Amino acid sequence: MYPAKPLKPGLYSVAAIDRDGAPPRLKGGRCRCGHVFFPMQAYGCERCGSHGDALTPCELSASGTLLAEATVHLHADKNRPAPFTIVKVALDDGPVIRTLLADDSAPVTPGQRMTGRLVAVGQSESGETVLDLRFSRAS
Amino acid sequence: MTRSLIDLRPVYVIGIGWHRYQNPSETPYVPLGLTAIRAALADARIEWPAVESTYVATALLGMAAGRPMLRHLGATGAPLMHVENASASGSTAFRHACIEVASGISDVALAVGVDKRNPVRRPETGIGHLAEDAIVPFTHFALLTNEYAVRHNASAEDIALVAVKNHRNGAKNPNAQRQQERSLDEVLGGKRVSGSLTSLQCTPIGEGAAAVIVASEEGIRRYGIDAGRAIRTTASVGRSERVYPPGAGFDAALTKETAELALAQAKLTPKDLDIIELHDAFTVEELHYIESIGLCPDGHGVRMLRDGALDIGGQCAVNPSGGLIAMGHPIGPTGIGQIGEIVLQLRGEAGARQHRDARAGLAHMVGVGAVCYVHILQR
Repeated sequence: MYPAKPLKPGLYSVAAIDRDGAPPRLKGGRCRCGHVFFPMQAYGCERCGSHGDALTPCELSASGTLLAEATVHLHADKNRPAPFTIVKVALDDGPVIRTLLADDSAPVTPGQRMTGRLVAVGQSESGETVLDLRFSRAS
Repeated sequence: MTRSLIDLRPVYVIGIGWHRYQNPSETPYVPLGLTAIRAALADARIEWPAVESTYVATALLGMAAGRPMLRHLGATGAPLMHVENASASGSTAFRHACIEVASGISDVALAVGVDKRNPVRRPETGIGHLAEDAIVPFTHFALLTNEYAVRHNASAEDIALVAVKNHRNGAKNPNAQRQQERSLDEVLGGKRVSGSLTSLQCTPIGEGAAAVIVASEEGIRRYGIDAGRAIRTTASVGRSERVYPPGAGFDAALTKETAELALAQAKLTPKDLDIIELHDAFTVEELHYIESIGLCPDGHGVRMLRDGALDIGGQCAVNPSGGLIAMGHPIGPTGIGQIGEIVLQLRGEAGARQHRDARAGLAHMVGVGAVCYVHILQR
């Protein structure tokens, strides 16, 4: 296996990189009040305002149901050339996330099942493959 | 016990003015703002020293833009403050000018919005994100467009009808940035932006200014203002986003609760509204918000559009100014310009875009963050 590293290690688990094909886990959080959120933060709960020990990390499954998709045709940032597709996914574990559709995903429509995986998006200066989370239609 | 605007001293809009909303130009913001303020003073038939307090709404000019503009009216020493609340900056400035007069602290106050198209800088919270850098406002609303279309079985053509109507209204508005009627084919055939949104379904962010002067009854008497042209603000509500059930559209949910509170303050029902100026930065928003305000049940907005119920002369004229899509959305001025349009309509001074016998109008803005402001004006 080639050395690889995640682009955003604070947002999804790196363990998945060592286990080929294993789905990544999202690094969310849970408040004592029951509110589940993504990503993990310790500033305070959006629902009840509790902070500190009330908020604990909570891994979320990278699978859910598609709420909406939009293919972006114009984007000012040259580091992210259009077209690309944004998906809004209701995770099975609660939070709704918005992220990129994998380039090789089958076309998607709302209501379909979606799963996340880490895909190679470039190379670091030290030659490692850089991985980032993308969602695709569940097969 | 807390009180609403309607429980305090009555507040009236006595003067309105604009600098036309337009494509970005070399003109500095100072003459844009001064043009709008002088137009509002002339409309009210008062002089600048009568203004006891000024609220300057601007999101993109930078720190303390007000004094370098206002000093050219003659420096009276009156207080001024700046309001930044994203797209709702102007609505927020208007609300606080009304509150100041209603409270009795001032008899005459000015809300002025002025902006140039400058880069938007958002604060860094320290919390990571998966791809928010790739989701600019038009993509946020492209996602909502997709959801609306699927949930209510609405076609891209159905949703684009909002733009056809609002371009038609804007074509009759000399202060609109876009003053050209557009066919459905032109709207749908334009440059694709995101999802099914095309450029003529998106607000053209530009520059401009709008000003509104509010006064108490005492102020109206003191300056001999024509009370017959004064339009009362009967409700003012500001809200911010709460936690809604997963998947619920927060823009619509926030609009629903804010509009309900405003209608209750004014003791009106949605059916009583003759005019609505709402935040149609993207076509789908108009459908979401008329349903949230309660003009029709969820998913029935397209039917109202098709029936002409939202046209000038229909059941309720929605965005007779042309809305953000055609009149434009220079950010700071937008919410204040909405108030000006409603005042024109309620006075019967809206000319070619006059809605018959308009008695009650509602102004609605949402702002990134998210905040929502709703005002109701009545004659």
